[in-house]
Amino acid sequence: MTILLVLAAAGFGAGVFGSLLGLGGGVLIVPLLTFGFGLPFREAVGVSLVCVIVTSSAAAGVYLERHLANMRLGMLLEVFTVSGALVGGLVAFLLPDRVLAGLFAILLVYTGVTMMLRGATARGDAGPVVAAEGPAGPAEAAGAFRAALGGPGYRPARLGVGIAGSLFAGMVSALLGVGGGIVKVPLMHLVMGIPLKVATATSNFMIGVTGAASAIVYLMRGGIDPLVVGPTAVGVFAGAMVGSRVAQRIELRFLRLLFAAVMALTALQMALRALG
Amino acid sequence: MTVPAPVGAGSLTARAARVDSRIARILRVGTLVSIGLLTIGVAFMAAAGRSPLDGSWPALDLGRIPGDLLALRPEGFLWLGLITMLATPLVRVAAAVIEFIAGGERRMAGLGTAVLVLIAIAVIVAQRTAAA
Repeated sequence: MTILLVLAAAGFGAGVFGSLLGLGGGVLIVPLLTFGFGLPFREAVGVSLVCVIVTSSAAAGVYLERHLANMRLGMLLEVFTVSGALVGGLVAFLLPDRVLAGLFAILLVYTGVTMMLRGATARGDAGPVVAAEGPAGPAEAAGAFRAALGGPGYRPARLGVGIAGSLFAGMVSALLGVGGGIVKVPLMHLVMGIPLKVATATSNFMIGVTGAASAIVYLMRGGIDPLVVGPTAVGVFAGAMVGSRVAQRIELRFLRLLFAAVMALTALQMALRALG
Repeated sequence: MTVPAPVGAGSLTARAARVDSRIARILRVGTLVSIGLLTIGVAFMAAAGRSPLDGSWPALDLGRIPGDLLALRPEGFLWLGLITMLATPLVRVAAAVIEFIAGGERRMAGLGTAVLVLIAIAVIVAQRTAAA
C-alpha cells in the first residue's frame, strides 16, 4: 500500500514538474523508476511511454480545441516518427541496459542545456515569433501540398530535414521512453519555421501516436508492467492537470535552475550506471 | 516566387476546425476512460493490499480480461485501461483518415493510412521477434 502511494506521488510530482516545464514527463519518470524504485531500465521505459501517451492525449485534445496544433503537418511527420519508433522499439531490446543508460545521460544533458537556453531566450526576447516563409516547391502540386500543411501566416520550410529529424525523434522516443518533444519542437520551430506555439502543440499531438507505436512493441514483448503503470499513470495525469492550472502563478526561473541541477545529477548517475 | 493556394483552401478552414473538434473529443474521451479504468484498478490493488513491485506481473491475455473485470480483479481494469490508452491515439488517426476521405483529401488520408499500416507492422514484427 505504501509503495503504491509513493509510486502515485512520484508520478504526480513528475506530472506537475513536467507540465510546468513543458515536458511530457518521460525524462523525469525513467530516472524516478530506475533510481527510486529499482526498476530495470527497459521496464522503466515501457511504463514511461504509457505515461507520455497519457499527458500527450490529454494536452493534444485541448490544443486541437484551440486550433493550435497543425494536424496535417503532424500527420505527415507522424509517418516518420512512427517509423523511427518501430526501429527504436526493436533496437531497444537488442541493446544492453548500460548502453541505454549512457544514451539517456546524453539526453538529460541536452535537455538541461536546452531548458536553460529556453529560459535565457524567454527573458531576452518576449516578442512574438515570426515564422519563416518556406521556399516554393519544384512543382505546383508539391507547392500546393506544402501550402496545405501550413497555417495562418506560415508555411513549413525544409520538409526533408523535418522528416529526417522526425525519424530520429521517433527512435529517441522508443529507445529512451520520452515523448521526443525536446527534438521535435526545436526542429519544427528553428528549422522548419513553424511558430513556437504551433510547434509545441503539434509535437504534443504527435507524441501520442509515436508513443503508442513504441509502447505496442514493448507490450508485445512483455516489457510493460500494468501494476506499475496504473499508479504512475494516474499520478502523472493528476499532476499534469494541477501543473497546467498553477503554471501561470509560478516563477519558472527558479524552477528551471532546479531542473537543470536535477538533470545534471541524474545524468551523472546514469553515466555512472553506463560505465558500470 | 508565389505558391498557389491549395484547391478548396477557402472551405478547408471551417471544415478543418470541425475535424479538430471531433478529434479533440476522441482524445478527451479516450484519456478519461483509460484513466478511469486505471484508477479503478489502482483502487482494487490498494484494497487487496497488493504492491506494484511484488514481482507478480500478470501476462497480457485478452481472453482473461472480461473474467478479471467481472471478478473485480485489478489486472482486468489495469490491462483494459492500458489498452484503451494505447488505442486512443490510433482511433484518432483512423477518425482523421475517415474525415480526410470524406473531405476528398486523398493525400492526407494516405498519410494517416500509412501510420496505421506502420502500427500493424509494429505489432506483427514485435510478435514475431518476441516468439523467436
